[in-house]
Amino acid sequence: MPRKVSARRHILTQLALLVVAAFVLAPLWGLLRLALDASLHGAPTEFRLWPLEPSLRVFADMWKTPSQSLSYLGLLRNSLIIAGGATLAAIFFGAASAYAFARFRFPGRQGGLFAILVGAFLPLVALMTPLYLLLETIHLRSTMFGLILVYAAFNLPFCIWNMRAAFQSITKELEEAAFLDGAGFWQAFWLITLPNALPSIGVTALVAFLMGYSEFAIGWLFIERSSNATLAMALWGVRSLGAVPWSQLAALALMMSLPIVIIFLVLQRALFDRLNFADLKS
Amino acid sequence: MKAVIKITSRVTLALIVILLAAGLRARAVSLLPPDYDEDDYLRAGQLYAEGIRQGDWGVFLRENYRPEHPPLTKIIYGFALLTVEPAGLVPEASVQAGINQDLPAEPLHAARTASALINLLEVAVLAMLNPLAGLFLSFHTFTIKYTSQVMLEGLPALTSLLVVVFYTRFIQSGRKQPSWWLLSALCLGLTAAAKYYFVISGLAVAAHWLWTTRPERSTWSLKRVWQWAAPLLVWGGAALLVFFAFDPYLWPDPITRLRESLFYHGEYAASAQVREAGLPWWQPLNWLMMSVPWHPGVFTISIDMLITILAATGLGRARRKYPVYTLWLAMGLAFLLIWPTKWAQYVLLITAPLSIAAAEGFKAHLAEPFWRCIQSIRLKRRDKSPNERRAYDRPRRVLPWLLPGLIILAVISVFPLVYQAAMAMTDFQASAIKDGLNGGVFREVWQGISGQVKPNLAALDDGRPAKVHYIGLHLVNAILFNSGETYLFEFFWTVLAVATQLALGLSVALLLHRKGILFNRAWQALFILPWAIPEFVAALAWSQIFQPRFGFLSLAAKPWAQQVPEIVNFSTGWQGRVDLALIVLLVAALWYGFPFMFLSSMAGLKMIPAEVYDAAAIDGASGYRLFRHVTWPLIFPLLIPAIIIRAIFAFNQFYLFAVMTPPMYTFAAGSYIIFSEGNYAVSAGLNLVVVLVLILLVGWFNRMSKANAGVTDA
Repeated sequence: MPRKVSARRHILTQLALLVVAAFVLAPLWGLLRLALDASLHGAPTEFRLWPLEPSLRVFADMWKTPSQSLSYLGLLRNSLIIAGGATLAAIFFGAASAYAFARFRFPGRQGGLFAILVGAFLPLVALMTPLYLLLETIHLRSTMFGLILVYAAFNLPFCIWNMRAAFQSITKELEEAAFLDGAGFWQAFWLITLPNALPSIGVTALVAFLMGYSEFAIGWLFIERSSNATLAMALWGVRSLGAVPWSQLAALALMMSLPIVIIFLVLQRALFDRLNFADLKS
Repeated sequence: MKAVIKITSRVTLALIVILLAAGLRARAVSLLPPDYDEDDYLRAGQLYAEGIRQGDWGVFLRENYRPEHPPLTKIIYGFALLTVEPAGLVPEASVQAGINQDLPAEPLHAARTASALINLLEVAVLAMLNPLAGLFLSFHTFTIKYTSQVMLEGLPALTSLLVVVFYTRFIQSGRKQPSWWLLSALCLGLTAAAKYYFVISGLAVAAHWLWTTRPERSTWSLKRVWQWAAPLLVWGGAALLVFFAFDPYLWPDPITRLRESLFYHGEYAASAQVREAGLPWWQPLNWLMMSVPWHPGVFTISIDMLITILAATGLGRARRKYPVYTLWLAMGLAFLLIWPTKWAQYVLLITAPLSIAAAEGFKAHLAEPFWRCIQSIRLKRRDKSPNERRAYDRPRRVLPWLLPGLIILAVISVFPLVYQAAMAMTDFQASAIKDGLNGGVFREVWQGISGQVKPNLAALDDGRPAKVHYIGLHLVNAILFNSGETYLFEFFWTVLAVATQLALGLSVALLLHRKGILFNRAWQALFILPWAIPEFVAALAWSQIFQPRFGFLSLAAKPWAQQVPEIVNFSTGWQGRVDLALIVLLVAALWYGFPFMFLSSMAGLKMIPAEVYDAAAIDGASGYRLFRHVTWPLIFPLLIPAIIIRAIFAFNQFYLFAVMTPPMYTFAAGSYIIFSEGNYAVSAGLNLVVVLVLILLVGWFNRMSKANAGVTDA
């Protein structure tokens, strides 16, 4: 770490950081000021930094009826079921493959890893068309289960890749000691490697969860029943209204972000250390 | 003996290239319909031919139809027209006139042939220099088009190439054979007498000379500087003399006529005609990223975009092997981007050095890796010592671990990819959804591949087909090779997005990574905040700032709306302008993306040991020099994975585009929009492009990180 800075430099540094902070906060403040203004009905028509009629009414409205058929909690529940289900499925089915790639040497390993890395970087949209048709054929397209399948499919390569790195960072010697005691691969995995890798798996799961939580585009196309909508879809729904109610849009956007911001702030440390997409620490 | 073989093979290769080029040009000469300006230059040639026939040599002093362009090419057309029977003089027309469709066939053909022959000479010169570059130039459709018509580009393209060829000859002779130097000057004069803006290759030569022979700062003296500049002055003076000698129209009244013809171009660039064309400043890049879009059926091979991409990848190598040509390419491109007139024929200014760079790119990134790959297969030995076989090295054991994940992957991601590939070979869209769901796609593709049905291109014209039809590779070709503008946008978008995010993220990390900064933890928590916010919400937040009518910015700027200059006025519909939209998107992407770079930079900075800074401090390095020579070289390798990850995310950026509705889209966003319009086949084709580009990017990622840590081998 470079040496301590002089007082004059320190002031300049703090000023520069303040400018960046303003850049970070400006759009958020913009949303907040729209959401707190009860006087707005459509778009704002004059410039103001502070709401004209400060009130929490819009937030309350959005709590009760953010969409036609569901309350905020109902939407949040759907979001949790879909994003959570997809995450669990991806972690569950991915863990074994990740372990195989982390530990075993087999023909096609390099090619497989390359394919998984490409898969992890594929945009969700790239799989959309065939999955739409596939789910349509088996009559799952407009269901929450169908959406869970789609998001799980999208998350699987990323989860395999990340968990592989997590398993690899746990030394083989622990397992080999267990083999000497007569344990099989399964026991070694279940009793030694998996528990040790849990924190990293947790972070992987969080990232996968966030994807499902904030995804609206696929859901918007696939789901027709409004009782199956997620928060992100409802937000897109508000935005797609003919005359966009800016206050409601802003309030719902903030309400959607809040749970995740809280999770992030709580898990900040772990995230700093463990998001090893490519091993930065190597 | 060896030298003889080398020369023979080179000449043979060049001959093959020339024959190919001749065929392509002959075809264009006879098939291309008359175009703008051809009537003007044909008329100019006819005037000269008429004068020569009557023995009236004063015609060269008197006539120069379209006097804004110097007459050399027109004079050559005059001589070419002597070979055919004279026809009625093409009538005069204003600059704004439309295309004159009934030009006399025989003179037109004769003049076109003359131009094409000159271009053939250019291909020959380039092919002797570098056969592959000659091949690329012979295929380049814009070059073919504008040198197979009665235009002025053919001759100056040749002579401007010769300027550089002779100059490099002079350099290679150790600056000892001034005849090459003078030949270069001669060609520069000819170039100026043929078309002004082609002298840019001469400017590149001058710049190269001034830079490479510059005297050391300490030895500066009047005499030394004179020795440095004198050869250039002689060269320039010789070129000027040649220019004057070959521009007989100037002889009677040099000053006035030269001034008129030079000033014309500045005025024309500001004229209504150019403004109404409404071509953006980056239009030359668009021209380079496409093949000639008009005249279907004339050009058998359309790989202009490929040539440009290869040239971009080969720049580094070309810079070392062909420094002057690369300088020419760079200066020419800069001129094209700055100069307000953006006509397509102007790209001929740089197609020769472009072809050279493309040839180097082809060798460096396709031919040589392929060759190495072949060799490594031949040489590979399987070295398996029995000690290596450990508990984990048993292929059969691995199956139960792999199978569940693999089966799921196969069903929900490999199968879709195959399905997409099949769909891209059909005209599948929403109106045929019933047929498609009942296996129509696979039926058609199977029948198409097994030869039972022919590609049914007529089906594309049917607005709402009820059945899926096989259309072969038509769509895939169109998307791969005719979306130059989207590639261009993706390139600039990805590079600029990553660069801005890296710059801000790293700067903030550098500010915080020092001892005794107050509120360090609070700042860190604040700066990762955007990362915690869903991209969708971030896009909404920025769109309420930039929205053209009711957005925060335009409401704030309302009182001064009249004074805000056009170029940064976000309240007048930036959604219709690519350059403003790019800035808006970059700001939003910077906000959302810099925290990741900030985190990666913090992690990287922590790994630089404190001793390094202590040592640097002893050497007296601080501030910018400390960063440039100590921190940056150490941190950059650590940031490569993060940079590539952000690059891939930027390439695939979707939510931002879906919310902001800019005029250009990434492939991913475009695919989604086209899908929601019900055009499944096009959407699938775009997705295939995404997969292809991703495979390239990930391969690169793998190589880069293997170089310093190893990603798949970790």
